[in-house]
Amino acid sequence: MIQLFHVWKYYAKRPALCDITLQIEKGEFVLLMGPSGAGKTTLLRLLFCAERADEGQILIQNKNVARIKPSAVPYLRRTMGFVFQDFRLLQKKSVFDNVALPLLVQGLSSFDIRRKVSEALKAVGLEHKKESRPAMLSAGEQQRACIARAIVNSPLILLADEPTGNMDPDLSAEIMELFKTINARGTTLLIATHNRQVVEQVKRRVVTLAEGKLASDVGAGQ
Amino acid sequence: MKRIGYMIREALTNIRVNQTTTIIAIVTMAFTLACFGVFLLLYLNLRGAVGALQDDIKVIVYLHDNLSAQGLADLQQRLTGEPEAAALAYVSKEKALADFRTQFPSEQSLLQGLGENPLPASFEVTLAPRYRSADSVKRWTDRLKAIPGVAQVQYSRDWIDNLAAMIGYVELASVAVGLLLAAASVTIIANTIRLTLYARREEIEIMRLIGATGAFIKIPYLLEGAVLGALGALLALALLKSGFEFMTVHLAGPGRVLGLTPKLGFFPIQVSVWLVLAGLSLGTVGSLVSLVGLERSRA
Ligand SMILES: Nc1ncnc2c1ncn2[C@@H]1O[C@H](COP(=O)(O)OP(=O)(O)O)[C@@H](O)[C@H]1O
Ligand SMILES: [Mg+2]
Repeated sequence: MIQLFHVWKYYAKRPALCDITLQIEKGEFVLLMGPSGAGKTTLLRLLFCAERADEGQILIQNKNVARIKPSAVPYLRRTMGFVFQDFRLLQKKSVFDNVALPLLVQGLSSFDIRRKVSEALKAVGLEHKKESRPAMLSAGEQQRACIARAIVNSPLILLADEPTGNMDPDLSAEIMELFKTINARGTTLLIATHNRQVVEQVKRRVVTLAEGKLASDVGAGQ
Repeated sequence: MKRIGYMIREALTNIRVNQTTTIIAIVTMAFTLACFGVFLLLYLNLRGAVGALQDDIKVIVYLHDNLSAQGLADLQQRLTGEPEAAALAYVSKEKALADFRTQFPSEQSLLQGLGENPLPASFEVTLAPRYRSADSVKRWTDRLKAIPGVAQVQYSRDWIDNLAAMIGYVELASVAVGLLLAAASVTIIANTIRLTLYARREEIEIMRLIGATGAFIKIPYLLEGAVLGALGALLALALLKSGFEFMTVHLAGPGRVLGLTPKLGFFPIQVSVWLVLAGLSLGTVGSLVSLVGLERSRA
């Protein structure tokens, strides 16, 4: 599903990722661990084509994204979902409209949009807040809205960057449970975090980065 | 389609949210286009006036007083046969005198002293459209002067040609001013859209991340530019129209005293539509310019 071969990424001649080789199978739940500055965000941004690798190859569903045309990037992104630490919700739009956005850009009919958005909101338990503005929601609710937006399009791959970054352990556990449910439906998950607690909460494969290098890859602990 | 509805709503929201900037842009744009409009109005009116005068050009062939009736008939036949002459009107000595009396009633005394009618008979020749150029008229009148029985040939050509040449300069100035102001309009719109883009940069980033294509993101801004441009042009037309009405009302009085009642006209409807389309295009181009900047800022 996701394959990296000897990937390097430099920022101003300093390597942020060194020679990363990594393979993630369909349906896996992978935690990307490492201290701040280890290169987790950089790795996710490469997968999402927000950055380009300087060396190496990245295959997503057997497509080489290191060579992808800029005009093809939006279509690749439609097969993935992305969850941010800072949510990145449009403050001027309701929860419903925020979640509908990925479908709207693809030109789905109003009927399909309503149906899929309702499903996604139900999956994250946020149906009752669909008319609210993001600013009126708690942090946990905002993250749920963000997750709903990421899964509304039934993506094959879900990437999340520190999705529980600012949350207390209880709330963090709740969100991780939500990710587990999504994973159980077949979506491949890659979640970056620097929080050791999350490892305890999830108990799945953990890939650790340190200073841009692959430090350890502890297999699925099921 | 749903996407098009979304784009139009986004464009309108942008316009509504940035009301102050939008209004300033439209007003600035309107004044800029109105400046050009003044030149265009001047040019079109001058051209219209000269066109009317050129249509009106008559060559007057004065006849010798001693021309016999037979000579007159021959000459009339000969002139009618000339391809340059579209129409021919004979003005007898008596008619010339009557015309003079009606045109200049205060100058009656001038003629009374002379006793005999001093005015010559003449043919007024209206030129065929193909032969109205300065060269052609000159050649033909030279030829006419050599015909026996013709005393003199007169045509009121020179000053009209001078006017036509002047119009050439006005045309040139209009084009130059037009280009300059077009560039200014593009800049105004580009800056306005750039402000919107800046205010919404986070939103644009989010749209990109959820898989929106470049076109989907850009079209609302192109629409915004087009709307601003078109509204600017409409306001410019309104400004010009009120200025024009003011001028015609307040200048008609003095003009009449001087014996000039210029028939001024405002833009015909097609020209107005073209102006609005021009504003719309300039707005779109301005928007495009700012969007090129957006692409670069991302690289
Ligand atoms: N846009 C950037 N420009 C320059 N350096 C960057 C940029 N993004 C990340 N870096 C550097 O790359 C390294 C890895 O960063 P990042 O991937 O954000 O780490 P993490 O997400 O694990 O905290 C850090 O040293 C960071 O300073
Ligand atoms: Mg990070």
